[in-house]
Amino acid sequence: MIETRDLAKRFGAVEAVRQVSFTAPDGAITGLLGPNGAGKTTTLRMIGTLVTPTQGIATVDGIDGARQPLAVRARIGVLSDARGLYMRLTARENIAYYGELRGMDPGAVEQAVKRLAELLDLTALLDRRTDGFSQGERMKVAIARTLVHDPPNILLDEPTNGLDVMTTRSVREVIRRLREAGKCVVFSSHVMQEVSALCDTIVIVARGRVAAQGTAEELLARSGRANLEDAFVELAGEEAAA
Amino acid sequence: MRRPLFTVYRKELRDALRDRRTVLMIFIASVLTGPLMLVLMAQFIASQQEKAANPKVLIAGQERAPELVNFLQRHDVEIEAAPKDYESRIRQGLTEAVIVVPMDFGEKLAAGEAARVDLVFDDSRTEAGPAINQAERLLRAFNQEAGTLRLIARGVSPDLMTPVRVERMNTATPRQRGALILFIFPVFAILAPMLGGMTIAIDSTAGERERGSLEPLLANPVPAPEFAVGKWLAAWSTACAVAMLTLTGFAAATLLYAQKKIPALQAIGAPELLQFVAVLVPFAALTSALTLLICTFGRSYREAQTYMSYLVSAISFMPVVVLLSGMKDAAWQLAVPMLAQQTVLGRVMRGDALGAVDFLVPAAVCFAVAAACVAGVARQLSDERIVFGRA
Repeated sequence: MIETRDLAKRFGAVEAVRQVSFTAPDGAITGLLGPNGAGKTTTLRMIGTLVTPTQGIATVDGIDGARQPLAVRARIGVLSDARGLYMRLTARENIAYYGELRGMDPGAVEQAVKRLAELLDLTALLDRRTDGFSQGERMKVAIARTLVHDPPNILLDEPTNGLDVMTTRSVREVIRRLREAGKCVVFSSHVMQEVSALCDTIVIVARGRVAAQGTAEELLARSGRANLEDAFVELAGEEAAA
Repeated sequence: MRRPLFTVYRKELRDALRDRRTVLMIFIASVLTGPLMLVLMAQFIASQQEKAANPKVLIAGQERAPELVNFLQRHDVEIEAAPKDYESRIRQGLTEAVIVVPMDFGEKLAAGEAARVDLVFDDSRTEAGPAINQAERLLRAFNQEAGTLRLIARGVSPDLMTPVRVERMNTATPRQRGALILFIFPVFAILAPMLGGMTIAIDSTAGERERGSLEPLLANPVPAPEFAVGKWLAAWSTACAVAMLTLTGFAAATLLYAQKKIPALQAIGAPELLQFVAVLVPFAALTSALTLLICTFGRSYREAQTYMSYLVSAISFMPVVVLLSGMKDAAWQLAVPMLAQQTVLGRVMRGDALGAVDFLVPAAVCFAVAAACVAGVARQLSDERIVFGRA
């Protein structure tokens, strides 16, 4: 379970995140929806302990990331905004590197690679160097790397960005299966359909604040609009005007 | 317990060895530049020595100076008639120096006057230096002999003319001759670990940032010092490997070829090479840590390369400073990285006696600086700013 309370981050004069509070429960997909520059990536970085909040608190399974960053990192898997692979290493080596860094023994790493390769349809690519991979194949390797230690909490920053339809569908399928396995999944997107197709709870972020949150139906009801896109514009705009 | 730093270390080495750029760099540094340079220099020095051993002069108008010709023949100097177009040949660098005897030479010499000869040369050509000196020396000797004969003919003691007689006594041992080559050898040896650790240092810091693999890497539950130490050890290993390969290349070139040409190199053997290793391994620890720290500030491969080129030029400049400032060996130099290695390796090459302190002091300084640099890298990696500003 991931919780943030009044999370804020300031870089010099720039307030990237002003006030973000939400709760992402286990066995559910929570989507951060917002335009580019709304503060989604910075929020995820604060949860993942790469960035220290100026105010507020982010906890993972009750652990405060500002106090025990390593304990938090051990309980999450992060697909960050930057998701570069090592081009001269094979897909297997890329995934195994993260498993070893997390202290898994070689047998466990091998099993995890096998399991994830089946889940992500990567088996045929495992022993090829990643420099020849398509964007979708790279994304799958990056996701496998994120999940190698079977984390109970998963952060995905725009996981379908730049992917074709087929790959997007298979990534969505993976995210659904993570929910079925009881994981806490938080993912960010600026694409409406993406969020509405997947998420149990939607958190609309605009200009560093949570503009609204709830299920798709709740957001529709609250905005009084017929479709989610209009609802988003209405709710995000409301915040922007305030 | 398996520490993450070993995982980082293994991954960085594997990654680097698959990089053609690194492998090419190792090849160029160790196999080509150094040994090839040594062979060329040996060739050059040997040909210079050969020239000195078999003196030869070019004369225009030797028929007008039988006395000079006689003198040169008595001194086993080979005489060759200068080609007609000697002036333009000298200008083009085809001929080094020519002695020109004017028409009135014999007349004036016989009359007891000062007879003129011209020595034509172009001293902007360094390779002509020995030939010019030689011709000048021979003319001076002839001058002295002729003058002495004139004084004797007039019943005057020639000693009146030579209040001071200079006897040349060179204290350099055979090993110390060929000083240039003794100087070049350490310079290459010092640059080798720099170049050897550079590619991997850039790739594992600025390269990670450019590829966007640094942020996910740092999201792992691994303390930043583990990454810093692992990456440093990897850079240090390649730096040492390149230094060892360079030394092997030099040793091979020395044993197989250069020793036959240059007596100075004959005393270089296994103990000297081991002393080189003892100096270079700690030095490589420093250079790899320093390059790693500098490259951590680079946001892209290219940016880091620019920083490195500053460092490498500064370091390549150092030996020139030492050479031109005429610095004497002193104890404080052992505490200055670069200078210490340069000094100690120079003394190894000259065959001077060295004590443990000559190796331990520079090594201690190297490891201390390396530790500070690695701590700096760890600090950089745990700073949140590292995940921003991707190029």
